[in-house]
Amino acid sequence: MADIVFLAMMVITVGGAILALEASEVVYAAVALAGSLFGVAALFFLLNAPFVGAFQIIVYVGAVAVLILFTVMLVGQEHLIKEVSFSLGKLAGALTAVAIGIALIAAFAASRLAEISEPLGTATYLQIGQLISTQFAPALQVMALVLAASVVGALTLAKIEGEEDKT
Amino acid sequence: MTKQITTFEGFVRQVLKIIFWVLVLTPLVGVPIYYLLDSVFHFGIDVFALVTTQPLKLLSLQLQLIGTEPFHSLFIWTTFPGFTFAAIFVTFFAMFWERKLLAKIQLRVGPQYAGRFEGILQMIADLFKLLFKELITPNNVDKPVFWSIPFASMAIAGALLALVPLGPTTFLADPSIGVILVFAILGFTPIVTLLAGWASNNKYSFLGGLRALHQMVSYEIPLVLSLVGVVIISGTLDIMKVVAAQTGIWYIVYQPLGAILFFVTSLAELERMPFDLPEADSELVAGWLTEYSGMGFGAIFIGLYVKMYALAGLFTTFFLGGWLGPAFFPPEIWFLVKTFFVMTAMILPRGIVPRVRIDTMLRAGWSRLLLIAFANIFLSMLLVGLGIVHVGVG
Repeated sequence: MADIVFLAMMVITVGGAILALEASEVVYAAVALAGSLFGVAALFFLLNAPFVGAFQIIVYVGAVAVLILFTVMLVGQEHLIKEVSFSLGKLAGALTAVAIGIALIAAFAASRLAEISEPLGTATYLQIGQLISTQFAPALQVMALVLAASVVGALTLAKIEGEEDKT
Repeated sequence: MTKQITTFEGFVRQVLKIIFWVLVLTPLVGVPIYYLLDSVFHFGIDVFALVTTQPLKLLSLQLQLIGTEPFHSLFIWTTFPGFTFAAIFVTFFAMFWERKLLAKIQLRVGPQYAGRFEGILQMIADLFKLLFKELITPNNVDKPVFWSIPFASMAIAGALLALVPLGPTTFLADPSIGVILVFAILGFTPIVTLLAGWASNNKYSFLGGLRALHQMVSYEIPLVLSLVGVVIISGTLDIMKVVAAQTGIWYIVYQPLGAILFFVTSLAELERMPFDLPEADSELVAGWLTEYSGMGFGAIFIGLYVKMYALAGLFTTFFLGGWLGPAFFPPEIWFLVKTFFVMTAMILPRGIVPRVRIDTMLRAGWSRLLLIAFANIFLSMLLVGLGIVHVGVG
């Protein structure tokens, strides 16, 4: 028997994802995407990782979905939707989807998930912080560099555009 | 209202729709209500243990957010620090106090004939007016989105309310990551306001929604960063422990910049006076609220006031020592007195300052407030690093 909370969250997540792709109204698609991302956050809560779940909500629902909605309203529907007939793009998309599916199934089959019988404890933010500042410190530094580089890049682009406006 | 089902496709679609809503609503609404009633009446049989492999997992969404005890009692959740208290009493007195205070500031008298004391019954008359007004759905609005906004507004306000502790024992939820959850809940507000503006199919509403989006997105980042100093000094993300760490000195002493930042950005988040561009009534009729009527408008309005109470309560909790105070009053009284003063400070600008322009406001948000926020973080790191303040101790 399945867990009905899990089922409901999967309905929200997968249903939202399908609706985000299939909705004819772009705003509905953006809202459905926000719902789908919220479902993923709820799955994190179910997995005893409330910290990750809260950040999933802050970053994806609070920022990414809002930015997408904003773009949709700024640009307008006619510039966003293009009719795609069956072509190379669709074929490549289908092939990629199948490849990712096979890779995921292989990864899960190779992992030792089935051996876990007892539920693992909650990962507190203190443990996450300790791991990030000791074992995964290089990864943290690389992430910081990437973020700094992207901020500098954004500032440079904005400055170039501003100078073009002046001349 | 129901559409006649004539085709087989329509029948399948209807069945799928019913399955979807049952699957979504049972765990999200049915299970909490069942356990809430179970904590009072003790039914004896754990119905939901029959349909799930791990009965506790079923509630883990709620359990993790609440803390150790699943539900204190029905009373705490629904009545005293809970929603009835905030939505009826606090909203009532906040609106009354706002009207009277602003009238006195602007040398107006205000309605005196309703009720003996300063026309106090005027509020009840207003409530009945809203309750009995027709709920008008304008032509060409996006109905499902349009009518889900009042509910969403109330839900966000209620969720925020659950994080405000009134006393060491009177609290609704004690999650271990409370400070993060404040921002997670506030993150929903731009979507709701923008959708309200979009669904209303009205230029005033849409302009108001876009303004709300701009100001909330740009003021949310300083709001998040203003609390980093508090987290650094208290060394915890648990709101109850933040209060307990302020036993000696309130954090407004160590964090004056952080307190000012939190206050200003929460004014922007609440769309109150110097930043009330999204519902600027002299420019945009009522901004994103223009098309709502009757209790739809009332629900959004109550949601805004509950949100104001919750944010004032969070300011009290983070910077003014929450429920702490000399023992001759119970802690709840101390909390409410401090929150009353913070709410007065939030109401006051409406009577004394003009509205700012959107471009000045955004520039101030991105260049000034962000800078102050980073300065505040470095200052609090210095305070801790030099040993002036000890982490977690008052």
